[in-house]
Amino acid sequence: MPLSTEMVVRETASNLWRNRLMTITAVLTVAVSLSLVGAALLLKQGAAKAEVDWQRGTQVTVWMKPTDTHSEIAAVGAQLRSLSYVEHPCIFRDHKYDFAEAKKLVGPVYSESGITAAQTPTSWRCVPQQPQDANAVIHKFNGQPGVLNVTAPLAEIHSEQQVINILQVVFLLIALILLISAAVLILNTIRMAIFARRREVSVMKLVGATNWFIRLPFMAEGLLQGLMGSGVAAAVVYLLHVVLNDLGSSQTTSSSVLAQMRMSGWEVFSTDAIVVIVGILIGTVGSAVAIRRFLDV
Amino acid sequence: MIKFENVYKTYPNGTDAVIDVSLDIEKGEFVFLVGTSGSGKTTLIKLLLREELPDQGRIFEAGRDIVNLPKWRVPYLRRNIGCVFQDFRLLPNKTVFENVAFALEVIGRPKHVIASQVPQVLELVGLSKKRDNLPTELSGGEQQRVAIGRAFANRPLILLADEPTGNLDPATSQGIMQLLDRINRTGTTVVIATHDEMLVNWMRRRVVEVHQGRLVRDQARGVYGIDNVSAAAQSTGRISDSFDEGVI
Repeated sequence: MPLSTEMVVRETASNLWRNRLMTITAVLTVAVSLSLVGAALLLKQGAAKAEVDWQRGTQVTVWMKPTDTHSEIAAVGAQLRSLSYVEHPCIFRDHKYDFAEAKKLVGPVYSESGITAAQTPTSWRCVPQQPQDANAVIHKFNGQPGVLNVTAPLAEIHSEQQVINILQVVFLLIALILLISAAVLILNTIRMAIFARRREVSVMKLVGATNWFIRLPFMAEGLLQGLMGSGVAAAVVYLLHVVLNDLGSSQTTSSSVLAQMRMSGWEVFSTDAIVVIVGILIGTVGSAVAIRRFLDV
Repeated sequence: MIKFENVYKTYPNGTDAVIDVSLDIEKGEFVFLVGTSGSGKTTLIKLLLREELPDQGRIFEAGRDIVNLPKWRVPYLRRNIGCVFQDFRLLPNKTVFENVAFALEVIGRPKHVIASQVPQVLELVGLSKKRDNLPTELSGGEQQRVAIGRAFANRPLILLADEPTGNLDPATSQGIMQLLDRINRTGTTVVIATHDEMLVNWMRRRVVEVHQGRLVRDQARGVYGIDNVSAAAQSTGRISDSFDEGVI
């Protein structure tokens, strides 16, 4: 049957306007539900980002004895360069750098105790490709000639990783639960809207309209409602991102969770894209499903 | 044009709505389906519209077996059948013109055809002057005229009416019957389910009576009830022709 686009557009527009209260209800339902889903997804993404940052910061330090010769230091450096599971280049810190760092960490007590830069060990700093490779580096260099000690913040990384993993799972679960309840809520609203117009559908059937002819304007309506609602939700998610970023940047310590969860515009864009696609799908497919039982006459 | 062959229909609640009905209606006939409420008239109309399927038997419309018609063909079947109901079933948000035009738009008629055909239909049903009114601004009789206009807009082969005068006063009902008679004269087969005794007796057309799902009478130029047959014959002197097909 020739299905005129003009008629679908006209019917859709007039139906949306005529049932504006229902339209507003459906749009708001989509907006509120998907805002929550988007927020949960954003937090999940933030947690994943924080984990990556943490992994990036897993630094193993091979402390060299202060009395080491150049050849001993170079030998350790050469071995590090040959490792495949370590990110290159590894950095060598001399007496002066380590002395300054120790002073910063320990405080003035460090120099007041009489320790000089020459007595401070030098060190090789390297980052394993996977945090769990830190152990391999420790085992390999501990006890080698010229090596004083090998350290890595393993316990801290482990607990931090656990917290972030739990956070990710929790946020993902919340997003999923919210998504399911949002889908049910949106479907119910669309069904109510269609139920209110079942008489119209029965008249269409009576005069010989095909199922697609009846279904299309309803699906177009669902698509628009989903698009409008998810557009609002996407804006809410973006605002949330801006607020989180502001809070993160205002934190004084760079180790705060919020600072580590700061995301780029592109990462938020992907969450927004998911929200809009889900909104459109729920609106369109939901309308098609909801109208099915009224078409069976 | 319409043929029922040993049709049975039982609803899921166990009600036997139609029992062994066989019936032939020729092209251009005007037939009243009469019977008390619950006798099975509406089920017969629903079977013709393919709103219901029989449990047994075959139904033909314009030579086509509609029982075995695939589901996706049903809308195309309905385009050949106009349908009018007691409650009019107009779209309240559309004007008289739009309601009639809607039937043509739905089946994809081009705009210029709609623009020329709808005024003709409105002229036929006598509502040219009310084309821009909404159904709520019309009387019951006028609303039924719009519904008839919509049913006839596509020039269907068959026009079915289920209690078309159920909500109307006698004078208005007569007007509606005259309109349906005029449509019948264009060659459209008209089937009316009714228990409006006065109208049936007044029109003197073929009467098919159903009682508890069974076809109990098929009478050319008939009257409403079997008890009325002799009285009507006495008053008109046409008893022999009232029993063309006799009591089944």
